[in-house]
Amino acid sequence: MSKTILEVTDLRKSFSQFTGLLATLTGDTRVIPAVDGVSFYLRENETVGLVGESGCGKTTVGRTILRLEEPTGGRIVFDGRDITKLSRAELRPLRRDMQMIFQDLDAGLNPAMRVRDILREALTVHERPGDAEIAARIGELLEQVNLKDSKLANFPSELSGGEKRRVGIARVLAVRPRLIVADEPTSALDISIQAQVVNLLRDLQKHLGLTYLFISHDLPLVELVSQKVAVMYLGRIVEMGLAEDIAHRPHHPYTRILWSSLSDKQNIEVSRRVRRTEVERERRAWGVFDFEQPSRGCRFAPRCPLYQQHGRPAVCTDPASEPALHDAGKGHAVACHFA
Amino acid sequence: MSGPLLSIENLRTYFYSRAKRAFIRSVDGASLDVARGETLGVVGESGSGKTVTALSAAGLVTAAPGVIGGRITLQSNGTARELLDGLERYVRVEEEDGRVVAVEKDERGWRRHAEALMAGVRGKEIAMIFQNPRAALNPYSTVGNQLVETIRLHTGVKGEREAKERAIAWLERVRIDSPRLRFDNFPFGMSGGMCQRAMIAMALSAEPSLLVADEPTTGLDATIQSRIVELLGDLKEETGTATLLISHDISVIQRLSDRVAVMYGGTVVESGRATEVLARDAPARHPYTEALLEAIPSAEAIRNKSYLRAIEGDVLDTIEVPRGCRFYGRCNKVTDAIRERCAGLEPPLAEVSSGHKVRCWLYPTKT
Repeated sequence: MSKTILEVTDLRKSFSQFTGLLATLTGDTRVIPAVDGVSFYLRENETVGLVGESGCGKTTVGRTILRLEEPTGGRIVFDGRDITKLSRAELRPLRRDMQMIFQDLDAGLNPAMRVRDILREALTVHERPGDAEIAARIGELLEQVNLKDSKLANFPSELSGGEKRRVGIARVLAVRPRLIVADEPTSALDISIQAQVVNLLRDLQKHLGLTYLFISHDLPLVELVSQKVAVMYLGRIVEMGLAEDIAHRPHHPYTRILWSSLSDKQNIEVSRRVRRTEVERERRAWGVFDFEQPSRGCRFAPRCPLYQQHGRPAVCTDPASEPALHDAGKGHAVACHFA
Repeated sequence: MSGPLLSIENLRTYFYSRAKRAFIRSVDGASLDVARGETLGVVGESGSGKTVTALSAAGLVTAAPGVIGGRITLQSNGTARELLDGLERYVRVEEEDGRVVAVEKDERGWRRHAEALMAGVRGKEIAMIFQNPRAALNPYSTVGNQLVETIRLHTGVKGEREAKERAIAWLERVRIDSPRLRFDNFPFGMSGGMCQRAMIAMALSAEPSLLVADEPTTGLDATIQSRIVELLGDLKEETGTATLLISHDISVIQRLSDRVAVMYGGTVVESGRATEVLARDAPARHPYTEALLEAIPSAEAIRNKSYLRAIEGDVLDTIEVPRGCRFYGRCNKVTDAIRERCAGLEPPLAEVSSGHKVRCWLYPTKT
């Protein structure tokens, strides 16, 4: 088995919201726990998918493990070294190893620079290679991301979405990273281009031995590219396991709902007349949940069909017993009292 | 009554790019029909012209030169209304070799005339829901008041109290919880999915004959998306409103449409019954439609962790539209027998079987 490259233990990140000067002075600020105790690990050359609805904290997890956000609590160990408390200067050499692909296609592409200069800059951030070496490396990068030489003279605004994404990936590859956090790398792209980029990312992983944390709300895509998948709900991982198990044998009621909302999307051949299956009815019965006070017991309870089925048991809303991830066999972990 | 509810013929909507000193041919000879009570799904990638087609039909294209040609006919109260009637007087298009080289347009005259044509049509006969509901709702007015305004403006209900009851009934119909409380909510106090529901209520409360839904689920979470699609499906059955549904998401189109039009590079490349056009093993279909369907990760591809079949190349640049088939540069179905025609001559939208039309040289034109 390959070695663990990243281990995250009980990661926490909360943002405080400015609710007015008076509130700040009296210390009455509102704190939003975006990430609330997340633990997982990544093995070398493997892809872990992180899924969940918007606002569940998946992007914050990605940003915090790269120390683009300061964690409020927990531990991040990269390649055997605790990086939670490293200073900016100490982090600098590590930035080479850990890179991020942002959802925004234009992120990291200076609009005033040509593609050649963008790549040159990325190549010279950490090293001082000679001109000949730079030229050779640029050629190599273009080949890796399958981009034509002629694009080097273009400005980002002259590129199509797919080309921008390729330049963004080339820029990340320039520092020869080992771990890449890919935050919704294809969500801004058209379906035909999406497929090109997904194929490219998988090729690169194979040839360069990369490790990916693949953040996406597109479940079939996550299942396709990942070996393992973690499902997040309001700042916590509620289920985690092999991609196949999460997709086809989910335990947690939230994962089931997430997947079923999709499976009727995916079943292109199924008649268009939506049948009122049991899941559909459950979905209709959803209550409302309170974002600001999520931690009274299980945070999914207000939307949970199992909670209703079991006659609203007290354990689900007991503040003292928020369900923790427990083993459900074969490395499959679920945070639910009843699953 | 004869003819479809909405008929768009050879619509051309161009914009001018000052930076590139060229015309962007967003819609370039698109034709489509929506029959009474039917849902026509328009699918295509970004830049294929689907949204601009819808905006043109609703008279909402404001940037110059905008709509420069074609015909849009709407059946309204038993009469056919030509929504572009007489507008050609304000536009002079100079063509060279079938290519537009200059457009002269009396913008003010055109707009005044277009507004006169759209009076009583937009909002009443043709209602729209947009991709970003929060941007389309008035942030300074409660959802309830906006609904009441629509109802009093466009339906026979004029009394305030009556209109309020009607508005609450609509909020309930789009399955907004506790509609009486929500009536007094401002859009910012509601989630994206809830805003989209309110928008749908607002559009349908005018009792339009045609609903134009432009990417109604894009930007919403998967679970919410699925519920909005479900709602649109239910409302379609309840109200029977004809719908022009625009989406890049084939699964949404699949679930709601009776017929489908596939757009590429500003024109319709395939149209027909949804079950035929989007069937996995259709006997005849446009190579672009096929490639689009294959680019979606199928259950098998996921199970085998196989590579996705991507469409090579990029979405068509609608400034430099090629002379021949618009898809020629990315097509993997070109054979030596037709290569010359594909490269040099745009294929017609020809019927391959009853009601199923494909714009491709692979299929012989029936006479």
